[in-house]
Amino acid sequence: MRIEAKDPVVEFHDLTVSYHKKPVLWNIDMTLPKGALIGIIGPNGAGKSTLIKAAMGLLPLGSGFVRMFDQPLDKVRDRVSYVPQRESVDWDFPASVMDVVLMGRYAKLGLLSRPRKADKEMALNCLRKVGMEAYVNRQISQLSGGQQQRVFLARALAQEADLYFMDEPFAGVDAATEAAILGIMQEMTAQGKTVIVVHHDLQSAAEFFDWIVLLNMRLVASGPIDKVFNNDLLQETYGGKLTVLAEVGELVKKRQIPSREKY
Amino acid sequence: MDTFFEFFSFSDPSIVAVVIGSILLTASSAVVGTFTFLRKKALVGDAVAHAVLPGICLAFILSGTKNPFFLIIGAFVTGWLSLVLIDNITTRSKIKEDSAIAIILSVFFGIGILMLTHIQHSGNASQTGLDSFLFGKAAALVGKDLITFGIVAVILMVTVSLFFKELKLIAFDMNYAKSLGLPVKAIDLLLTTLTVLAVVTGIQAVGVILMAAMLITPAAAARFWTNDVKTMTIIAATMGAISGLIGAYVSYVAPAMPTGPWIVMIISAVALLSFFIAPKRGIISRAVDQRKLQYQIMDENLLKALFHLGEKNDDTYKGRTAEEIIEKRHFPKARLMSSLKRLKREGFLKKKNGLWAFTEAGRIKGQRVVKLHRLWELYLSKYVKIAADHVHEDAETIEHIITPEIEAELERMLEYPEMDPHEERIPY
Repeated sequence: MRIEAKDPVVEFHDLTVSYHKKPVLWNIDMTLPKGALIGIIGPNGAGKSTLIKAAMGLLPLGSGFVRMFDQPLDKVRDRVSYVPQRESVDWDFPASVMDVVLMGRYAKLGLLSRPRKADKEMALNCLRKVGMEAYVNRQISQLSGGQQQRVFLARALAQEADLYFMDEPFAGVDAATEAAILGIMQEMTAQGKTVIVVHHDLQSAAEFFDWIVLLNMRLVASGPIDKVFNNDLLQETYGGKLTVLAEVGELVKKRQIPSREKY
Repeated sequence: MDTFFEFFSFSDPSIVAVVIGSILLTASSAVVGTFTFLRKKALVGDAVAHAVLPGICLAFILSGTKNPFFLIIGAFVTGWLSLVLIDNITTRSKIKEDSAIAIILSVFFGIGILMLTHIQHSGNASQTGLDSFLFGKAAALVGKDLITFGIVAVILMVTVSLFFKELKLIAFDMNYAKSLGLPVKAIDLLLTTLTVLAVVTGIQAVGVILMAAMLITPAAAARFWTNDVKTMTIIAATMGAISGLIGAYVSYVAPAMPTGPWIVMIISAVALLSFFIAPKRGIISRAVDQRKLQYQIMDENLLKALFHLGEKNDDTYKGRTAEEIIEKRHFPKARLMSSLKRLKREGFLKKKNGLWAFTEAGRIKGQRVVKLHRLWELYLSKYVKIAADHVHEDAETIEHIITPEIEAELERMLEYPEMDPHEERIPY
């Protein structure tokens, strides 16, 4: 079941993505609405992270395209922000909380220039929003999981974007952080910004999001929560693994076949 | 000793030149190496270092001179080629990166040694000294060579400082850098180029075989001293410079001695020292922290035992003998006595007529440990659903590390319970 967004910000068109040559997402077609808090839901290995990585141009596309604000990503990068999975970086890296948040300003600064005073104040503002202003100079390895996630969120906020892709921002965070992050997201969407979140907990998904994307190697459903968050569709997403689809994916990897024939 | 003063008075201009050269080369390798290290590409550095040898030999065979300009170009070409090959092997075959590095390193170095042997037996008079590229010879850094290598070293350091923030970001979070639209591939290419160039310039002082140590060891040592990339780069450069200086001295005192091994030994000694004595991250500092934690656990257990003794007859402040305490809970006598004395010194206990008793502060501390122990037991049985007879052991360790924030959270969640799972009163 696929419901088109009335005021679309992101458009996925016939997107197929392979990971290490193994197709993990097949023919994703959907539009996502402006100003919504959108949850991408699905079981492990459904390709949730892959979908937003592909959208951010971090993975090569097998076929199809993604458009944001009706433009290719490269034209509107300054309006789009990405929050990677917390575990994707080495938190023992020699950097302070301030260093990490300032990274959100790098695109605005451009090459060869250093963060200015205004950038530092902006970073501090963002840290204040996520309740981490007391940790400005803290070494990042000394943060708890929830605090690390808040720092990542602050870094994304420092980009001052209109569209946010977040990979599992609620994974492994404490209750207080969860509430804080959700509060910020709701504030952002109230301002007309769009927040797209990879999420794995069904129970909280029902409370958090306005719009749900159900994913399991293919698009099961996309639409307002009251239309798509029902037993039948969840059953279709979580129940019955698409064994044949997964097996064919393995085959494609073994035989090294490109997912689209090229002449 | 005479040579020492002769050297370090820097009165001889040729000494000054060698010193400046050595310092520039080792410091610039350390600066570039900081990012090789942060990117976790130490082995790649080693492969490049070995792979420049055939390039140097080839350049010599083709040009017939030891002109550093040609040698740098030759070294650069094969150094680069090795990286491209490693990359291709990894992406296009099932061979993993570590194996690809090992293969390329040995093949390139093998070819290099073959060529070097051939040159040495060719009878070409101008080849003498080419073998100093194997283990380095700082004293050979004179005249035009020095200027060429020195300029490259300065270019390296300036480039790193220009792209500092991008290099840092890519080392920390490459996907995020890409999502910002930064030219990650180009900057990656830049870092690779810098690494190859650092190797090429460093080999005059250190030699191809040990060059990887010059890239990585200063950074690894510097990491112990700081949590900031900029400071780390500066410390690494300083450490590199010191080893370069001493290397130059050795080369001056004993011209027959290769400099590379000396420089590497010095920088390794610095790294080893950092490993032990650095604050916070060093082994000694960590051992001290562990020791403090052991004392804390012993002291808290003792206060807890005293509190338990007082619970029975509601005589918390009564003085007790060491034997009474041991009877309540077994402690090795010597450790108990030292703990008792420590707690008295800190004001948590007082001693009267050979009896040990709580001060007010001591009672509060002991009571808190007992409370945390019982709260944790209750939490485990109520929320984690662990059987009541299994929660005690866990609580024995957890009671020492619970922070005031978690304490408050536990009290709130459990709503200030009165009894623990063993029907013992939780003191507030």
